[in-house]
Amino acid sequence: MTPWVAAGLTIAGVAFAALLDVLAGAHAEEAWVGVAWGAAGLASSGVGLVLAVHRSSNPIGWLLLANGLVLTAHLVATPYADYAALEDPGALPGAEWAVLVHERAWPTLFICPTVIALVFPDGRLPTPRWRPVAIVAAVSFAALTVVSLLSAGRYSEQFGHVSSPLPELSEAVVGVPFAISGLGALAGLAAAAVALRTRMRRASLVERLQLKWLAFAALLVPAAVVVSMIESTITGGEGAVTVVATTLALTAIPVAVGIAVMRYRLYEIDRLINRTLVYVTLTAALAATFAAVSLTLGVAIGSGSTLPTAVGTLAVALVFGPMRSRAQSLVDRRFDRARYDGLRRIGRFLEDLRAGRAVPEATGEVLAEATGDPDLELFFWLPADEVHVDASSRVVVELPAAGRACTPVRRGGLLLATVVHDPTLGERPDLLESAIEAAGLAIEIARLRVEVRRRLADVEQSRARIVTAGYEERRRLERDLHDGAQQRLVSIGLALRHIQGRLPTPSREAQELDDTVAELGDAIEELRELARGVRPAGLDEGLAAALRELTSRSPLRVRLDATLERFDDRLETAAYFVASEALTNAAKHARASEVTVSAARRDGRLVMCIRDDGIGGAVPSERSGLTGMTDRVAALGGSLRVESTPGQGTLVTAELPCG
Amino acid sequence: MRIVIAEDQVLLREGLRRLFQDAGHDVIAAVADADRLRAAVSEHEPDLAVVDIRMPPTFKDEGIRAAGWIRDAHPDVGVLVLSQHVASAGAVRLVSQGGFGYLLKDRVFEVADFLEAAERVARGGSALDPQVVASMLGGATGSLDALTAREREVLSLMAEGLTNSAIARRLVLAERTVEGHVRSVLMKLQLPASDDAHRRVLAVITYLRAEHDHR
Repeated sequence: MTPWVAAGLTIAGVAFAALLDVLAGAHAEEAWVGVAWGAAGLASSGVGLVLAVHRSSNPIGWLLLANGLVLTAHLVATPYADYAALEDPGALPGAEWAVLVHERAWPTLFICPTVIALVFPDGRLPTPRWRPVAIVAAVSFAALTVVSLLSAGRYSEQFGHVSSPLPELSEAVVGVPFAISGLGALAGLAAAAVALRTRMRRASLVERLQLKWLAFAALLVPAAVVVSMIESTITGGEGAVTVVATTLALTAIPVAVGIAVMRYRLYEIDRLINRTLVYVTLTAALAATFAAVSLTLGVAIGSGSTLPTAVGTLAVALVFGPMRSRAQSLVDRRFDRARYDGLRRIGRFLEDLRAGRAVPEATGEVLAEATGDPDLELFFWLPADEVHVDASSRVVVELPAAGRACTPVRRGGLLLATVVHDPTLGERPDLLESAIEAAGLAIEIARLRVEVRRRLADVEQSRARIVTAGYEERRRLERDLHDGAQQRLVSIGLALRHIQGRLPTPSREAQELDDTVAELGDAIEELRELARGVRPAGLDEGLAAALRELTSRSPLRVRLDATLERFDDRLETAAYFVASEALTNAAKHARASEVTVSAARRDGRLVMCIRDDGIGGAVPSERSGLTGMTDRVAALGGSLRVESTPGQGTLVTAELPCG
Repeated sequence: MRIVIAEDQVLLREGLRRLFQDAGHDVIAAVADADRLRAAVSEHEPDLAVVDIRMPPTFKDEGIRAAGWIRDAHPDVGVLVLSQHVASAGAVRLVSQGGFGYLLKDRVFEVADFLEAAERVARGGSALDPQVVASMLGGATGSLDALTAREREVLSLMAEGLTNSAIARRLVLAERTVEGHVRSVLMKLQLPASDDAHRRVLAVITYLRAEHDHR
């Protein structure tokens, strides 16, 4: 028999039973039994079909199919017996068999569920030692069925006139076997429960979740009974609510078995249990609130008024929101410690963030703590560059892949970041997702900060490049002036002198040549001055040499104390021009008589100080050369300070990081 | 004089060659870089090497470094370094050892003075550019303040490497007068009087350099 045939038979059986129900004119109060059983049979069969096809090595699929057939057989037997034996006797064959099944075949209903419980979820017994237990259970159920079918005794009242098609054995004969097989069957049921318990204790994470699914579905059966009792207490009978609850409970079991075996969305069970508990707690609390408020008011005002009901409803509406979050946190605390603790950790972090005790860049570490995955990493996505960067703005070309899983963090459809974590964490999306959601704002802020810092670094780099390019251009210009134009003028002068040498000495031409050569000399001197302003050639010999040359040209008395250490060309050039500007200002505006110039390495910085004894009170202005110098020094990551108290001279300090 | 010229610019190199030849000197080699300069000096052992301070490949201080090498390898060869600008640290150090000159290029316009400086260097004397001397004296403090204006003038010319008679010619003074100023200067600076003109000049340069570096 293929699974498709088994499933087909079940469907046909359920349809046939429905038809018979209509023909037999079943009593209304019993309709719910048919619906619930039919649904259970169909669910069992459908899930069995899926499992038998996709997990053919696991017998649970076949067991579910068999269970579906057994349920269907019972489902059909009842209306068949009604119709064939009561409604229209003789119209259908085998009426006495249908009655027999209806009345005496009940032990068969337990066989499949018991075996499934023994081999759930992997299709094997928990250990080989369970084999005798399983055999005893199977034999007991088979014996119990046989004994039950053969035992003499009266059918229920309506079928009292029907006789069994099988030989009927007297009470004396079947009494002992019935008792023994009955005890065996009970022991089998107990063993199935113990088997599940044993498994639960030794279970791996996945198995535990599989068992949780089954347990959750199984708990729905008593829940449905409670609901049914409540309904009959209130309305005086079982109605739609009971039908829905029972149908849900009976179909939930095969569905849960299917989810567990297929391992499809296995990890949702925690969320499902969580939600169920939250809503059950919430419902109970709201009902209690409503009852307390309306009863109290009803007693106070007297019956007949609708006010108590209205106020009770209002109270429920008011307390719903806070009570829901209270219930949620209560359930979280009690039943999902990891998630609760994780969210609390994030909550503390957010508080620290607001109070300035933490930086948003620490979000990744907090997520690692909150989810219990110490290797969890958070990488921010920069859409402009289309790269991921870590919290210190370093570009991560390729996200770590081997043995790690990636979960994107989105906000409003935009990718903010990617969390790289242990794959097992991905199987508990509830924990990770809620942690990410709780930390969402922190992640967004951290991403913005990282991006701003990166942009700033880019700008700083490009500014440094521009300044460097400027210095290089100066060097090129200076070289062009010296080695180009100036040399050319010198050779022209030489040529003129050569010509002059061939002229009679006291002549007008010789005199004119003398004047021309003198002019050339002036031109060369001017070029030299120009070139020095562009970039002093002395810088090639180091900052100290250039400063010595600079200070020796100053009209002021200058004390120079410069380190002979060499620095990066850009630093030396910047420091030189700071000194040059400061000296010029001291000479031009400060009315100083003496200047102290010092250049030294201090704490990884080249510190250039120029102090004069002038009038002070210098105000940096747009036109001041020092303003331009401030920018150039800043471009090299340094700082420039001007302290100029009136009457106390001026101190210019430039600090340039030199590694 | 037998002269080797090292100058990377053709026009200037040829100009210098003609200048020396017009004055009756023998330019035995004119090269364009420091390596060939070393080879030519080793080969010819000239009286004087005239060296451009900036030459290929880096155009920084090849000339100075080649001059230092000549100083060590061929102490008898005088070296006259020509520069486009005043960058004195390395040059003054060499000048204070004698047989060395450091002049700005446009000094060639004063042909007579230039040739005189070149001959002085070839003979083991020294020549320091007036601008360099001026910068060493500029803003001077201490014992230099005690000098009269005339004495400072004489000191400058001494530092440039001029002999007493040359100083006398330059300042249009009697040689005896100059000798008096020189004695006075040496006394005020507490420098030892010496009959050797070269030694005296070197002492002055060394003194000024120390003063200058000290500031």
